[in-house]
Amino acid sequence: MKYYPTIGIECHVQLSTKTKLFSEVDNDARGKEPNSCVSPIDYALPGMLPRLNGEAIKYAIRAGRAMNCEINAHSRFDRKHYFYPDSPKGYQITQFYHPIIGEGYVELPSGNKVRIEHAHLEGDAGKLTHFDSYSLVDLNRVDTPLIEIVSMPDIHSAKDAHDYVKALWRLMCYAEVTNGDLYNGNMRFDVNVSIAPEGSGTLGTRAEVKNLNSFKSVERAVEFEIKRQSKILDKGEKVIQETRGWNDATGETTSQRSKEEAKDYRYMPEPDIPPINLSKEFIDEESAKLPLMPKDYKEKFGGIIADDILEVLLDYPALMKKLAEVKDAKRVSNWFASVLLAEEKSAEYLNDLPTAKQLDDLSEMTEKGELSSTGAKEVFLRLFDPEMSKRDARTIAKELNVIQENDLGELERIVDEVLADPATKQAQEDFKAGQEKVIGFLVGQVMKASQGKANPAVAQQILRKKLA
Amino acid sequence: MKITREEILHLAKLSDFDLEESEIDGLSKNLEDIIGYISELNTLDTEGVEPTYQVFEMENIWRDDEILPQEATREELLALTTEQAQDQIKVPKVL
Repeated sequence: MKYYPTIGIECHVQLSTKTKLFSEVDNDARGKEPNSCVSPIDYALPGMLPRLNGEAIKYAIRAGRAMNCEINAHSRFDRKHYFYPDSPKGYQITQFYHPIIGEGYVELPSGNKVRIEHAHLEGDAGKLTHFDSYSLVDLNRVDTPLIEIVSMPDIHSAKDAHDYVKALWRLMCYAEVTNGDLYNGNMRFDVNVSIAPEGSGTLGTRAEVKNLNSFKSVERAVEFEIKRQSKILDKGEKVIQETRGWNDATGETTSQRSKEEAKDYRYMPEPDIPPINLSKEFIDEESAKLPLMPKDYKEKFGGIIADDILEVLLDYPALMKKLAEVKDAKRVSNWFASVLLAEEKSAEYLNDLPTAKQLDDLSEMTEKGELSSTGAKEVFLRLFDPEMSKRDARTIAKELNVIQENDLGELERIVDEVLADPATKQAQEDFKAGQEKVIGFLVGQVMKASQGKANPAVAQQILRKKLA
Repeated sequence: MKITREEILHLAKLSDFDLEESEIDGLSKNLEDIIGYISELNTLDTEGVEPTYQVFEMENIWRDDEILPQEATREELLALTTEQAQDQIKVPKVL
């Protein structure tokens, strides 16, 4: 039988605020030792009270606006109780009843819209590492601010599931609310999948695949679930509502603990954090700080940068920002595209981008014909070299000896020198007798005499004039 | 309101309590009494009344996003735990 899948996705985004959501501790624990970014508040020692990070509220407003969401003027926090060693408090502080971000939508490349049900602020849990007979707890990640984005079940294919999480990633990166480092779990996805006979208009029983951390794994997990559930229904059996885990190596989902019901979390209002009541002015002011979004760049560069190149470059928000600063975005985007598509290091190049001035100088030199396309590329690559990057593009070009000789006087002198050389006498006569292709040999001699610095097109013009 | 034995065991599991067999019936009775007492509130008509989430009438209490040096060191905090290993808190295996 043919089945129609229905998919809803919850996404956790780690916010890149300086401090945690409830304590004045460094929120960036990358590369730091376990339990080194932890305070007595994170340890939930007796008497410790959470101190809400106001910046997280502002981040949430930006994140919400990036998804075309309403921002709720009134929101507050709740306690969600559960006992697990990753949470010393014995509960998570979240927004169950009154989230800060209301309804909105995200547009997919397919043109489909995925509605956002709501999104809320909450604290992350610590990290557990499991060993044979024990587990170790690192609390560095405790109460890192998260935004949990809950979509409506508007997705109906693995491809759209992939495109949705990728779109979310871009929106959150461009809104500058997260580092967006998927490898380090900055964004994690829980995917709810159900299927029903096509045309039935009903919804099947759903399974939730938890803790996916890449676009590809979201797509593969959805594909796997659709197949798995189809087989079950084909046999006349029933899909069980359950939580499943994803194994990236085998490409399969497997059954996990049965999920606690909402009532088992014993939600209650968080008494230690007073409600958040935002004025319209405050919300408007923060909304106005939303940087340019992918769609804004598409509008800005549409018709200037080729669509396929733009699509590649849009994965690099800092690069798009840079392109908006330079004078010749088309030329500069081509350099970046060739580096990203052809050079092995690719994304590494983008950690420390050249300045707009360096790129403008390079564009201008190329425009004027002082650099060949190969020469320009060579200088461009050197702009990423930590030793060179702080230097002037022209200085680098000079040192690489790639500036083309355009000085007509100087070029003419070299051409005269070549023509005076007895070794070229035969070629000159052949050209005059109508052997057109000999001009290539003569240009080659000029290039050689100029040590590669002559602009070959200009050299040819002068040669033709002199041999006419 | 009757609190069953199963409900007590379920709550104990959620709260990570080890209950002695002898404690279960007494707890049922205690909880029944508490809920019975609180249930008297149900006689009030609260239609259209906003829930009270907190009583101090404060709002928007938040701080700046600045890292502050912490007085308690990692070693001091780890020393409060029952067991530690590799600068982490060691707990019985969970999965």
